[in-house]
Amino acid sequence: MYILETNGLYFDYKGLEVLFDVNLKVEKGERHAIIGPNGAGKTTLFNVITGSLIPKRGKVMFKGHDITRTAPYELFRHGMARSFQITSTFAKQTPFQNIRSAILAKRGIRFNVWQRVDKLDDITRETDEFLKKLNLHNERNFPAAALSYGKNRSLEFGMAAASDPDLIMLDEPTAGMSRDETHDAVNLIRKLSDGKSMVIIEHDMDVVFSLADRITVLHRGEIFATGTPEDIKNNQQVRDVYLGGTEV
Amino acid sequence: MSKTLRPLKYWVMGLVVAVIVPHVVGTVYTNIIVTFMLDAVFALTVNLLMGYTGLVTFGHAMFLGLGGYAAALALKHMPGFPLIGVIFVSGLAAFLLSCAVAPLLARVTGTAFAMLTFGFGQLMYVICLKFREITGGEDGIAGYSTPPIHLGFTNVNITDPINFYYFSLIVLGAVTFLMWWLVNTPFGTVIVGIRDNALRVHYLGYRVKHSKALVLIISGTLAGFVGGIYALFHHLVSTDGVLTIFVSFYPLMACYIGGIGSFFGPILGAGILQGINVLISRYTQRIDLVNGIIFILVVMYLPMGSIGIWLSIKGWVLKNKRKA
Repeated sequence: MYILETNGLYFDYKGLEVLFDVNLKVEKGERHAIIGPNGAGKTTLFNVITGSLIPKRGKVMFKGHDITRTAPYELFRHGMARSFQITSTFAKQTPFQNIRSAILAKRGIRFNVWQRVDKLDDITRETDEFLKKLNLHNERNFPAAALSYGKNRSLEFGMAAASDPDLIMLDEPTAGMSRDETHDAVNLIRKLSDGKSMVIIEHDMDVVFSLADRITVLHRGEIFATGTPEDIKNNQQVRDVYLGGTEV
Repeated sequence: MSKTLRPLKYWVMGLVVAVIVPHVVGTVYTNIIVTFMLDAVFALTVNLLMGYTGLVTFGHAMFLGLGGYAAALALKHMPGFPLIGVIFVSGLAAFLLSCAVAPLLARVTGTAFAMLTFGFGQLMYVICLKFREITGGEDGIAGYSTPPIHLGFTNVNITDPINFYYFSLIVLGAVTFLMWWLVNTPFGTVIVGIRDNALRVHYLGYRVKHSKALVLIISGTLAGFVGGIYALFHHLVSTDGVLTIFVSFYPLMACYIGGIGSFFGPILGAGILQGINVLISRYTQRIDLVNGIIFILVVMYLPMGSIGIWLSIKGWVLKNKRKA
């Protein structure tokens, strides 16, 4: 069984076809990258899967359940977490508070008004452990807005990963990063997504080829090719439409 | 002195001061302090929405006002109704009103939220103005007497200014504590999350609307308690006293002048406004003009409010200490 599956997905923006019969299949435990030229419909597909857009036709299946019209908060409760292309953390709050929110969310602590949050020692401990994994423990108490771009991206990814989801959806996690930052980010993502299912949209081919177990190439709203990184690298048509003959 | 004991020491000191103060300053100033406490706690309920949840309200007077009317009506029509019951009724009235408006208000944010609260507030104002048979219209409700509190062994006469000071100190202190507790719970982190990034909160599995509705109901209900104390304090509840737009606007000024980002900022702001009003009223009647000018200056030059001055002094001292 696939953890994530889309069946004949169509989407259009006021008549402009963006997705055209997309049948994406993501196996449990694999890191699946979606690549494609600008305007291929990657972000739209991502938004349809994560519940911020409703497709015109077709179904999105997650863990065998139809989640096509499911609200984001419910998707999270089913075990799907996402990161944002444009950093979307709680910028005024510290990394500690950011990650703590994700940990509280994971535990399903929602309307608790009878306990002080700073007295929940196991939450604090778990948050600090996770901050160490993210290598953000030295910045624990600075406002996120004061941190570097790379650290903010780590935090962004961390908020999705901290809730220990079954499927992590990453929207261009290394966009705008320097080479060194990208390298660190890839290691971080690899470390924290070990054994988990993950869908990643990415432009940087180095990132894609070093992270992905399987790759789907999207072109003009259709799935152009799917396969292992080796298959995709050696696929002449993919090289023509997307990789543009660059040495990879 | 251990870390946990030090704040306790300040709390005990504060409590001792609060207990002694009315005996030192006399009746006039005791009443001024009660007015300040009413303003401050009302401002705190507004800050729960504005500072913590990021919802600017222009209609919070409706909760205070309804609480006040409920208390006045209970006292007028039910002689012998116990005082605790009166406070309870004012909270209940505001609770019901906030339950009625919360489902609508929780769906909107930003300007739409501000305008909708403004609309509901004005609606409440007009209803109470026109529903003369019950509310007394422009004249309001007056001439009700305040019953004593039965404590079993003795009766406490609340019409005595010092006793009333203690009474409102206890009730308003409890309201303040409830809010302080709330913002320090896991739910408190959720509402701050909504302020900073509602979309992310949604993607962390929270129903943003439900959380907003709950904080609205809590804030509205607590404002109703403040309204109940107001009714007991002034012996008069009228549309001009508790329901005009200025009543809604005053706590916003207190929050801005004190500092929106912090819990105790609004208390400081209400204190500053009260202090200025007491001083200015000796020389001129144009208190609103002075308040307005101060408000403009704070918004322009002190975006963090008066607390911001304190924070920058603290930061400056710390920086110099580290250099030395």
